[in-house]
Amino acid sequence: MIAEYGQLALTFALCISLALAIVPLYGSFKGHQTALQLGNPLSYALFLLTAFSFWALSYAFWVNDFTVVYVATNSNSLLPWYYRLTAVWGGHEGSMLLWLLTLSGWIAAVAMFSRSLPLQFQGRILGVMGLVAVGFYAFVLFMSNPFERSLPYFPVDGRDLNPLLQDFGMIIHPPMLYMGYVGFSVSFAFAIAALMGGKFDSTWARWARPWTLAAWLFLTLGIMLGSWWAYNELGWGGWWFWDPVENASFMPWLVGTALIHSLAVTEKRGTFKSWTVLLAIAAFSLSLLGAFLVRSGVLVSVHSFAADPSRGLYLLAFLLVVVGGSLLLYALRMNSVRSQARYELFSREVLLWGNNIFLLTATLVVLLGTLFPLVHKELGLGSISIGEPFFNQLFYYLVIPFALLLGLGPWVRWKQQQVQPLLKPMSLIAIATLILALGTLAALQSIQANLALLGLLLGAWVGSSAIFELLQRLQQFGSVKQGLTKLNASHFGMTLAHIGFAVLVIGVAMTKTYSVETQVRMKAGEQVELAGYQFRLVEVYPLNGPNYKGEAAELDVSYKGDYVTHLHAEKRFYTVQRSVMTEAAVHARLSRDLYVALGESLNDDSWALSLYVKPFVRWIWLGGLLMALGGLIALCDKRYRRRSAEPKATSEPKETADA
Amino acid sequence: MRKLAFFIPFALFIGLSVFLFSGLFSNPMERESSVLDQPLPAFALPDLQQPEKIWTPDSVKGKPFLLNVWGTWCVTCNAELAYLTELREQGVMIVGLYYQQPTDAAFGEVFDLAALQQEVALKLEQQGNPYQWNILDKDRTLIFDLGVTGAPETFLIDAQGVIRLHHIGDINPQVWQQKLAAAYQNMQE
Repeated sequence: MIAEYGQLALTFALCISLALAIVPLYGSFKGHQTALQLGNPLSYALFLLTAFSFWALSYAFWVNDFTVVYVATNSNSLLPWYYRLTAVWGGHEGSMLLWLLTLSGWIAAVAMFSRSLPLQFQGRILGVMGLVAVGFYAFVLFMSNPFERSLPYFPVDGRDLNPLLQDFGMIIHPPMLYMGYVGFSVSFAFAIAALMGGKFDSTWARWARPWTLAAWLFLTLGIMLGSWWAYNELGWGGWWFWDPVENASFMPWLVGTALIHSLAVTEKRGTFKSWTVLLAIAAFSLSLLGAFLVRSGVLVSVHSFAADPSRGLYLLAFLLVVVGGSLLLYALRMNSVRSQARYELFSREVLLWGNNIFLLTATLVVLLGTLFPLVHKELGLGSISIGEPFFNQLFYYLVIPFALLLGLGPWVRWKQQQVQPLLKPMSLIAIATLILALGTLAALQSIQANLALLGLLLGAWVGSSAIFELLQRLQQFGSVKQGLTKLNASHFGMTLAHIGFAVLVIGVAMTKTYSVETQVRMKAGEQVELAGYQFRLVEVYPLNGPNYKGEAAELDVSYKGDYVTHLHAEKRFYTVQRSVMTEAAVHARLSRDLYVALGESLNDDSWALSLYVKPFVRWIWLGGLLMALGGLIALCDKRYRRRSAEPKATSEPKETADA
Repeated sequence: MRKLAFFIPFALFIGLSVFLFSGLFSNPMERESSVLDQPLPAFALPDLQQPEKIWTPDSVKGKPFLLNVWGTWCVTCNAELAYLTELREQGVMIVGLYYQQPTDAAFGEVFDLAALQQEVALKLEQQGNPYQWNILDKDRTLIFDLGVTGAPETFLIDAQGVIRLHHIGDINPQVWQQKLAAAYQNMQE
């Protein structure tokens, strides 16, 4: 019965979302107070019903209720309990339910934390989110119902969760990613509410900033976890594949990053208004486009859910209504808006404009690379595929000017900056950059004009600029110590996120340049050397897991004769799904990863193994973590938690302003 | 003009939607073969069972036939042997192109022709033999030139030696009826 209750709750939730889409919006246009005030209780009800529905599906997984089709296709009685629970979002239907849960969660959060906003504005935000919710709830209920039963003939046991998803990274990757995707619906709703009101002072931007930051930070974590998962689980040491679905998550991230910066300009300076609105619409539109690409089967990807044209058709129609409608509204409303603030050529505004241009170009590159094969084929020009070299090369070109600007940006004032005062700090940073980059390569005994040098230079430039700028800013408060207590959190957040970017760039460049790998054939007791490390295969023995069988290899690694570590790599055969998975052995240090994947058994007691030494690969995820942490710190800024609504937008920027 | 500029995002989005819409109704896995309507690429490969006999494009053409890429290691290929044999009995000419998997000397693998011949003969005896003869493509050169992505794949080749159809995947009664039979009949006339 629990599953039926879950479906019932979901049906109620659809009705509530309809009410949420109509009532507060009606109230906002008619000035009807009671209708506006209904927004909050409706939002809470929506969340509670969805949470109950989600619990009901989780319960069905918990008790192995294989009469529910979705449970039977995605779980198995031998699956450990924690994977049974995460199997809830292991397939299309359940992951859509998770999507609904995050959407209703964001709606409830907006209702709770934006009570200080003018009621009319808040009503419009909730109404817009309600409209989005109607589309998704109807999609789940009518086209991908996770509670469908297969009575009276139901399977005795389930088909098991895809072994690829039986990993810790997979437990939290999708929820984080969805928090990010769906979180951009809040920024979107703020922008649409502002468009509806037709009032474009900078207040909406101030209100939208913390929400955008929150969504961005979840998306950052989600993408990072996905990359980390791929590295551990796919068994060939890669961390980013330019897969269409990865691209689908990367595009909203790029636009979201642009949006964070553009919101700062709109809030502080009252310019870039129409641009910021467009970015807010674009970030959520790209999230929706991602959902469409993953779930409609128009592209080939390892992530694709089973393709079903009717689902794709529905999502496309939904996309047309939401994205097309909001872009039309944008076109009709925006042409009357004028920016009043003026700024000189060398000013923070212009540098942030540059930031936006590069981020948007990057988005365009990813979008083209992802959709071009589709367009090419539909034009009747035949099948093509666009791979890594295309993306990598264009990103090399983009990241150089982007990082150069990024090192300069935080030093430059709003409105106008004289060149003279910057000469000294900039030359100091340049010197520090050279010392850091060349010093690192000298320590590795490999000074060459290669990608690693470029990455180190860019990373050191951005990183040292961020640190010097923070120190200099802290000193303005009298002393560094006093500054630490007085400087606002968003400035710390910005610095940390920029350092995170520097770390990421260094990680990518170093890994790309200095990774070495080899495929070898080994017998127990044999030894292979790679990049100075000796890998000795100690033994290989059979393995018996709850829902898999397999083999495990034990290796000892030493470096120039000194024992380093012991590695344990597995190769599993999942009996129900009949698929083979590698569990790579990873020994992680900040300076390098040792990575071993166990391959095939060869006829004479020997085994094929893949060995990798990947310098600085941790820095990639560390950089992502730092960026997310920076977002979190910025989110804690006191300015965002003022109880009262801001009186009026100040057109004079504060000097401590950050971007 | 300035007013119109704000419609650009909307227009771009609508344009994109058209492609997304048409993309919904085509299979992304489907690839047009680049060898369609091209004559067979040049090759000179030995017969699997009689290696002294060398097959070339000129020596295989003359009659429309199916060129079936297969291997004993390929499970799906083995599954289609029975139906292909049935087709042979109905008078369809089928030539096998044997897909030899790479041998890796580093892993101690050596190519053993006698063992392969025995294995193939045994397999065809058990499952049925649809092939007039088998061409051995040891280094996968012809397979590469034909743009084969895996096994089984089948090419329909007309009497002039021109490739008319490229089918990826196994051949079963349904595929034969829907995709291949009509084209093959046309060539017969």
